[in-house]
Amino acid sequence: MFVGTVVYALINSVILLLMAIGFNLTFGISGVSNFAYGAFYILSAFVTWMLMNWIGVPYFLSAVLSIIFTAFIGAVMYRFILIRVRGQVLSEVIATFGIGLIILEFFRYLGFVGIEYSLPVFIDHSFVIAGTYVDMQRILIVVFCIVLILLLWLFIHHTSIGLAFRGIAQDERTALTFGIDSDWIAMLSVSMGAALAAIAATVVVPLGTISVGEGYDVLINALAVCIIGGLGSTGGVIVASLVVGFAQRFTDTYIGPHWTMIVSLVAILLVLIVKPSGLYGKQKELEERI
Amino acid sequence: MLEVQNLLVFFENALALNDFSMTVKKGEIVGVIGSNSAGKTTLMNTLSGLIIDMAIKERRKGGERITVYGRILYQGKEITTTRPTDRVKRGIALARERHPVFPESSVMENLKIAGYLRTRAEIKEVSEYAFKVFPALMPLKSRKAGFLSGGEQQMLSIGMSLMVKPKLLLLDEPLLGLSPMMQKTLISAICNLQRESRITVLITEQFARPVLPIIDRGYVIENGMLTLSGTGQELMDNPEIKAAYFGV
Repeated sequence: MFVGTVVYALINSVILLLMAIGFNLTFGISGVSNFAYGAFYILSAFVTWMLMNWIGVPYFLSAVLSIIFTAFIGAVMYRFILIRVRGQVLSEVIATFGIGLIILEFFRYLGFVGIEYSLPVFIDHSFVIAGTYVDMQRILIVVFCIVLILLLWLFIHHTSIGLAFRGIAQDERTALTFGIDSDWIAMLSVSMGAALAAIAATVVVPLGTISVGEGYDVLINALAVCIIGGLGSTGGVIVASLVVGFAQRFTDTYIGPHWTMIVSLVAILLVLIVKPSGLYGKQKELEERI
Repeated sequence: MLEVQNLLVFFENALALNDFSMTVKKGEIVGVIGSNSAGKTTLMNTLSGLIIDMAIKERRKGGERITVYGRILYQGKEITTTRPTDRVKRGIALARERHPVFPESSVMENLKIAGYLRTRAEIKEVSEYAFKVFPALMPLKSRKAGFLSGGEQQMLSIGMSLMVKPKLLLLDEPLLGLSPMMQKTLISAICNLQRESRITVLITEQFARPVLPIIDRGYVIENGMLTLSGTGQELMDNPEIKAAYFGV
């Protein structure tokens, strides 16, 4: 049982990392806390589902289309709403959370509730690892996440847009003096964060069903991981997702499943009490941020 | 190359620049000398367009009202209301005061970020040139910019401005907080730079002594107003300047 718990804890950590990476990217670059993040996650899952079941687009293509669509919605949200409240943290949070509520509750209102709303797994197969059954989808999630992190790293450090991201993240006004348009880069960062939420949804949602409530859980998990790791710090987010991932799975196995969600919240509280900037955080004004 | 006509800049009701006019000809080094809060940085921000960006962002969130009156002509075209990115594309580069670099990035990465509008080959070429102008930076290539000394950061900051391939280089208080030794090194580097690459340089300073000998022409600014202008030599010989800035 112990080994099985460890295997699933690892997978759980990777899933948390996937869910948090987009939130972290947007915050790290433009300082925007995108509380519509969980809604984007669910939105993209539903768009994929609708494309497949209503129009009959092949699975792979509809996933790609829904990622592009979600990125577009993120860009629109920045261009028309966030741009006006940029830099005013509370307004950003209220605006994005409001947009998230609208998206999620609209789906609930339309009646998108039930087990028929689910996405197929990529490959239906399972392995035995250290005496534990692990299905192919979970293995793929791990592989996919590693590839994604590598690609993101290469993108940030070796493309001109990625370097502009680094510049804006550190000193916006100085970046402006080199011809980097801060509004454009901030829009890209929100859009990319949304796309990453959609990518996470594409690979993670096939494990369960698409449910509106999941949108809120994703947001809380992303927040937990980012706050514990230190907002805007990629290394911190990786460590934090391992911490939360293991804590959740072990609580699930040894204490009881209904305590799982409390773990993230308790972890947030503990970190805010002991080290408010997070494990690897550079954001000293974190208390003000969240 | 640059003509500033009757510039007035307001922050809400506070007048930061009052009817300021000046010209910069191609290939010159021009100095703007003034004490703290005389309006030097506001002038640089207005010329580089940063103030337009600040005004737009303040207006969006209903903050401070920033207004700019007057005209700025660059290479014969009016640029008074254009955004900073547009001015960078036209070849106006600003090295902001207090040597701002990207502290988390290495020296090389700082140069790459500054080369946002350049191709990979251009970045390589210009960064090699920057290392030639400032040889002290060469061994620090992979060090984080936040760990550099003030003088090294200032060199890096000017090196980063070079990545823009400027025709007009605006240096806002490049000597601020540097030792007299470092000031000398930097001044001679700026002179060499200007001679070799025929860049036009506009430099603001509160230290008149190291700057006056190298400038072709200079302006003295006080409380946002132009009080004196002349060639570098004329300013050096001016008794008021001597009293106010040299302490003679």
